[in-house]
Amino acid sequence: MDIFLQQTINGLTVGGIYALIALGYTMVYGVLRLINFAHGDLSVLGAYVGLVVLSSGAGGGTTLLVVLAFVAAVVVVGLAGAALEFTAYRPLRKADRLAAVVSALGASLLIENGIMLIWGPQLRVFPQGLLPSGAWEAAGTRIDLLQVLIIGGSALLMALLYLFVHHTRFGTAMRAAAIDQDAARLMGINVNRVITSVFVIGPALGAIGGLFIGLYYRQVYFTMGWTYGLNAFIAAILGGIGNIPGAMLGGVLLGLVNAYAAGFVSSSWQGAITFALLIAILLVRPTGLLGERVAEKV
Amino acid sequence: MSAFRSTCAGFNPLAKLSVLALAAAASTVWAAEPLIVGVQAPITGQYANEGQGIADAVKLLVKQQNAKGGLLGRQLEVKVCDDQGQAAPAAICARQLINDKAFAIIGSYTSGAALAALSLYARANVIQTSDGTSDELTAKGVKTFFRNAPPNSAEAVFTAQYFKDKGYKKVAIVTDHSSFATGLADAVAAEVKKAGGQVIEKAFIEAGSQNYTPVLTKLKGLNPDVVYFSGYYNDGGLIKAQMAQLGMDTPFVGGDANQNVAFAKIAGNAVTGATIINVPAPADLPYPAAKQFLAEYKAAYGHEPPSIFTLTNADGLRAIIATAEKVKSVDPGVLIPALHQLKDFQGLTGEFSWDDKGERIGSPFVAFNVNADGSYKIVYPQSAVK
Repeated sequence: MDIFLQQTINGLTVGGIYALIALGYTMVYGVLRLINFAHGDLSVLGAYVGLVVLSSGAGGGTTLLVVLAFVAAVVVVGLAGAALEFTAYRPLRKADRLAAVVSALGASLLIENGIMLIWGPQLRVFPQGLLPSGAWEAAGTRIDLLQVLIIGGSALLMALLYLFVHHTRFGTAMRAAAIDQDAARLMGINVNRVITSVFVIGPALGAIGGLFIGLYYRQVYFTMGWTYGLNAFIAAILGGIGNIPGAMLGGVLLGLVNAYAAGFVSSSWQGAITFALLIAILLVRPTGLLGERVAEKV
Repeated sequence: MSAFRSTCAGFNPLAKLSVLALAAAASTVWAAEPLIVGVQAPITGQYANEGQGIADAVKLLVKQQNAKGGLLGRQLEVKVCDDQGQAAPAAICARQLINDKAFAIIGSYTSGAALAALSLYARANVIQTSDGTSDELTAKGVKTFFRNAPPNSAEAVFTAQYFKDKGYKKVAIVTDHSSFATGLADAVAAEVKKAGGQVIEKAFIEAGSQNYTPVLTKLKGLNPDVVYFSGYYNDGGLIKAQMAQLGMDTPFVGGDANQNVAFAKIAGNAVTGATIINVPAPADLPYPAAKQFLAEYKAAYGHEPPSIFTLTNADGLRAIIATAEKVKSVDPGVLIPALHQLKDFQGLTGEFSWDDKGERIGSPFVAFNVNADGSYKIVYPQSAVK
């Protein structure tokens, strides 16, 4: 039982990170029917920007420094997301679907190699002891402050996003644009603004996920976006791509399945079990667990 | 002009005599032809610095030996041939050095080049000592080949012995999916079983995936005596950190690919208690003879040897010289069987023997703890602890 609990904590921590990154995939897909392959790399960019702030030693107190790092990561990556939309996707919005996919892959390579050119190809290590250390242990199960922060932080962000999308005017506009852009435009919604904001919010959440990775594992490398991007992408599909609560559910589920598979079945089959589950779910529910709702009254 | 002639005319007969005497003395020293030591090594190309290191080490040893009066009353002379670390030039080098009547060949650095020359030296009955780690080198059954570095399987044997001596009976092995790491993990598992230990779990991680707590939580539940990781330093440091995060105080032992300055940085506060098994860097060799040789090498060439293999090759030559002095002969019929009998020779890279296949028994491997500042402290074997 204590091992089960520990694996649940393990799974929830990494699942929360997957979910944060998965949101970016699903939001962009929901509005544009496009997989933004550069999203994983944007998230990693967030980790590197955060590292710059953390290593600078600015701000006096260390906890304040961490807050500054998050702010910087969100701002820089949010702007980078908007710039990406403006340069790589907007000119191709009316073009063939394949052109946008190729552009997305190109953008992914550009960001990845850009990170390598700026920060170097070697592994970068995050400084230690920035946050007060603390851990709680009960019945052989351990959870530390950072894990609480990651699980709590991602849950809070997801709740805020859900409220934003479902209970604000702008969120309603977003959902309307996701269903039918032309109809939304006729209703007086500035669809371009909606799309740009999606490209700011998604990568900004991804940047927080990326910085969580950096703080938790304390190492970043420039090709990391591929690994995390793929996992988050799977999470988005698992939950039903285009569906925001689906991405959250998918991320958490993926983290838990990974942990249980490695812990209770076999670590050599971890990847195989995860993908077998994905295939099984998609066979039964081709649109993912929560599926994208096709009709909605807004 | 006249001044010159007058000097010549004034040449002192006594001085003339002493010059003659000097020449005579010199000719008695040089009467016996010098013994040729061949170096077959990559002096140019990809492994040039390794090859040059081997040639430099051999020249230094020969100079020291000659200063002591040479070998069995004969001066030694070094002939170097550049094989570029490749098979075709290696065969040419072998023929050239055999024609030069070398009695022993040091090299080559790469297994491939050593292997290409192996049968040529065997046919000519010329001793060859190389650091090549390929198992093929000693599997050919030639009598003239002596390996001076540990073969690929030595790390696993050493690791199992270390576990046995530390009393680690229940071993949990973690590996990534690379051929290097799985190969080492399998070899260690086999050796642990051979040594009477028990491999309670062989776990896999996806290299670079960073999330190793699920695997480690499972290991924690199995309560092993030691966690052994055969993969690379970036994952190794993270595994050590995540073990601490899970409250595991099980000892962590990493294979040679964990030795990197980044290991300590990644493991952070959790690094204390991590042990890594590898051949030591030349500067970390604990033996007094090695320290002295390194100082002499640095004085002669102005830099450190490029790698430990410079010193294993030096050990090859040192063992050959010591054995030749012991049996008082460089005749291959006498010297080769004596080399196969070499026992507990105190090398620069640790104690070793040669068996009847020419395999080096006694590896230069050491186990060292990683300190918080990233430096190392050798803790095993006892003979290597300062």
